[in-house]
Amino acid sequence: MLNLIFFIICLVIAGMGIALLLKMQRLKELEKSTAGLNASLEEMDEQAKLIIRTDIELNKTQEELDKKIAGLSTLQKLSREMSTTLEERQIFKKIGNEYLEELGFEKSSAFLWDTLAREFHQYLNIGYSEEESLKIKNAVNSDKDHYLDLMHGGKTASSVFIPDGFLPKDKVCRLFQVNEFIICPIIPQEGNQGFIFVGTQNIETRITEGEREIITILANQIGQALDNARLFEKTWRSQQELEMKVEERTRQLTEALEKVNIISKRKSDFISSVSHELRTPLTSIKGYAAILLAGKLGAVPDEIKERLGKINRHSDELVHMVNDLLDIARIESGKVNMNIEALELAPIPEKVGDMLAEQFKTKSITFSINIPADCKKIMADRGQIERVFINLLGNALKFTPEKGAISVNARCTNKMIQIDITDTGFGIPEEAQDKIFEEFYRVDNTINQEVKGTGLGLTLVKHIIEAHGGKIWVRSKIGEGSTFSFTLNCA
Amino acid sequence: MNVSFGFSQTKDHIRAANEAVGQAMIGLGNIPADLAIIFTTIEFTHPLVLKTANNLLGEIPILGCSTLGIMTAKGIFKHGFAILLIALSRQMFLNVASVKDVNKKTGLIAGKELGEKLLYGCKNVRRNLSIIFSDGLIADATNLINGLQENLGRSFPLVGAGASDNFTFQKTFQYFNKELLSASCCGALFGGGLNFGHGIKHGWKPLGKIRSVTNSHGNVIREIDGRPAVKLYEDYLAKDASELARELRRISIFYPIGIYLPGEREYLLRNVISIKEDGSLVTQGDIAQDSKIRLMIGTKDSCLQAAAESCADAKKNLMGQKARFVMVFDSASRFSLLGRQCVRELEIIKEAFGEELPLIGIYTYGEQAPLKSLNYLGRSYCHNQSINVLAVGGQ
Repeated sequence: MLNLIFFIICLVIAGMGIALLLKMQRLKELEKSTAGLNASLEEMDEQAKLIIRTDIELNKTQEELDKKIAGLSTLQKLSREMSTTLEERQIFKKIGNEYLEELGFEKSSAFLWDTLAREFHQYLNIGYSEEESLKIKNAVNSDKDHYLDLMHGGKTASSVFIPDGFLPKDKVCRLFQVNEFIICPIIPQEGNQGFIFVGTQNIETRITEGEREIITILANQIGQALDNARLFEKTWRSQQELEMKVEERTRQLTEALEKVNIISKRKSDFISSVSHELRTPLTSIKGYAAILLAGKLGAVPDEIKERLGKINRHSDELVHMVNDLLDIARIESGKVNMNIEALELAPIPEKVGDMLAEQFKTKSITFSINIPADCKKIMADRGQIERVFINLLGNALKFTPEKGAISVNARCTNKMIQIDITDTGFGIPEEAQDKIFEEFYRVDNTINQEVKGTGLGLTLVKHIIEAHGGKIWVRSKIGEGSTFSFTLNCA
Repeated sequence: MNVSFGFSQTKDHIRAANEAVGQAMIGLGNIPADLAIIFTTIEFTHPLVLKTANNLLGEIPILGCSTLGIMTAKGIFKHGFAILLIALSRQMFLNVASVKDVNKKTGLIAGKELGEKLLYGCKNVRRNLSIIFSDGLIADATNLINGLQENLGRSFPLVGAGASDNFTFQKTFQYFNKELLSASCCGALFGGGLNFGHGIKHGWKPLGKIRSVTNSHGNVIREIDGRPAVKLYEDYLAKDASELARELRRISIFYPIGIYLPGEREYLLRNVISIKEDGSLVTQGDIAQDSKIRLMIGTKDSCLQAAAESCADAKKNLMGQKARFVMVFDSASRFSLLGRQCVRELEIIKEAFGEELPLIGIYTYGEQAPLKSLNYLGRSYCHNQSINVLAVGGQ
């Protein structure tokens, strides 16, 4: 019995031992599995670390890119704004609070160095009270050598990088009351240089390379805008000086013209009064010569008759000259009332042609009139225009040799009618063509020595045409003939 | 309920207050307002702004705070004065209160005090929601909420924002009636059937192993898995402590710590605000010892996705009722992370609630809200890097 009990106990112990072994085996397996899971978890954790490290770099790049895009967009707007002004202070005023905030800063100050006064003048102040701004200005001028070195070296200082010899970061931060900043020189090609400061109190901000680049571009833009403004000011000043000179010259010319007009008027008045004075005795001379010629005071011998005839003829010429002078003077002074009306053009040269028909015939001169249908009517004073044609056709007749030709042509141009009187005469020397319309001018040639004239006919013609609002000129070639052209308004 | 919104971008404080308050009062017509919520950007002369607003509003209670940016349906503004005037319907009521100098009292005591003041006269009536504005620079913000919940109830819906400055982390302001406060908290308790929907999301996802906080106190994590806490970041980012300290704000925004909360769907985020010499991490909000944490990773897309989800949750919770206005408390870290994409986030909110709905929002240093937005039994926490959307309905 005891043996049986012992055997059973042994069996139970053996069973328990086997169970224990099995459990231990299971536990080992579980431990192995847990170790595997832990290893996987560690692996995953390592992967998570990689993800985070990559992510942080990506975020950094993304942030930098975002800042650059925002900065460039703001710079573009600022550039457009600054280009709208050409006044130095206005350029800085364009850098408003909003733009500064878009660039990631809320405080800014800008200074330009005055080489004469040897001090910095403040041109921009954002984010500071007047008192703070004054304090900053004074401090900048106290440390002016540092800022001048920065400008002359063309270096940019920032809370991340302070160039050798510049003020310590903490001092700049304290003065401008910021945590982060950039100070960039403004270097225009000409004139006073300066610098711009931008800063932020935001303790989260760290100045990046991108921000430094953006502010450098901004400083360059300001420099260019200053150059433009200064160039404009220079040009504007030159223009002002030029305008003043032109104004002065114009004033002098106006004064001279006024004097000329006064002299001219005096001359006209003189001619007018002298002519009047001459006409009375001339009339008497002519009257007495006529009485004597008529034999009313007794018979006159032939020799005296001949002399009296000459007196009479010369008196006529003199009266004619005096009348012309009077007409010129009247027209010049505006005393002649022009009766401008719509007139048929063709009958006028036809009438004058009829008057001179006998002389044309004597010299075998061909006279022709060619007036197209669209030039039929002119606006003119009939009597005065007839005088124009008489003078010009008379002159043509005088200076055209036998078997020559004289023609009257007309054409319409831009609401004006141009009338050309062409002859095949001796022509006018080129140097005399401008002078023939002057009073008493006569071309020095053999014909003029033979053919008598007052030298007032063309002057009178010119005055009449100008009184009609037209122009007169001549084209001529020696040996080929002349063309006198004048214009009148179309009716 | 009637609401009216006013906003001015003018930098002159008196003109800004005049313009914005004027717009809001005209919008409300002859209906008397029960509460004015004011948000201003930090550069204003705050005592003068508040004085001007008080002069214009008379006896209307004022709550509000400073911020680094204001969100409206018209856009996101870095300078401005915004006001929301609320006229409650007859059956509704509210009580406003504040607690000053939180840092001197400890967060828990200050929270209890605020809770007690808010409950004054409202103990035996139906309460719906509390909105609070606290100083975003308070170190003991978690205990402030804990203290508040001790009096208001652990599962009582509490939505709030941490006032911000312009990333200088120097000083923020809170407005309570005629008082301009700092290091303080003010709030309102609504009751009598206020219908609202709420959603809070951040969009960050856990990455890497689950770690254990082996030694922490308040908002200081001394050790993680028995090693100095900073080793977590050193290992993952392959940077030493000094490099980390230099880029801490940025790193903390992209890779915050996520706390696993049993029974909650989302990880609760914690920004690291500084590294101590002994390798401890100081976070914005507490992390309890033995907490299970993970490093979190986020992208702009996941942030925007979170904004859409937050709006969807808020809308869903309105139970089909039309929203009268939307209030957004959006983390300043998100503002920093999203950059120009902030506008896209605003568009997402507008797409969710409609272009015409009055919208007012601020960028905050910390957000307070329950994690479980679909039922309000979840307790409220201090969040970081989250978008907190509150849609208020009503008749």
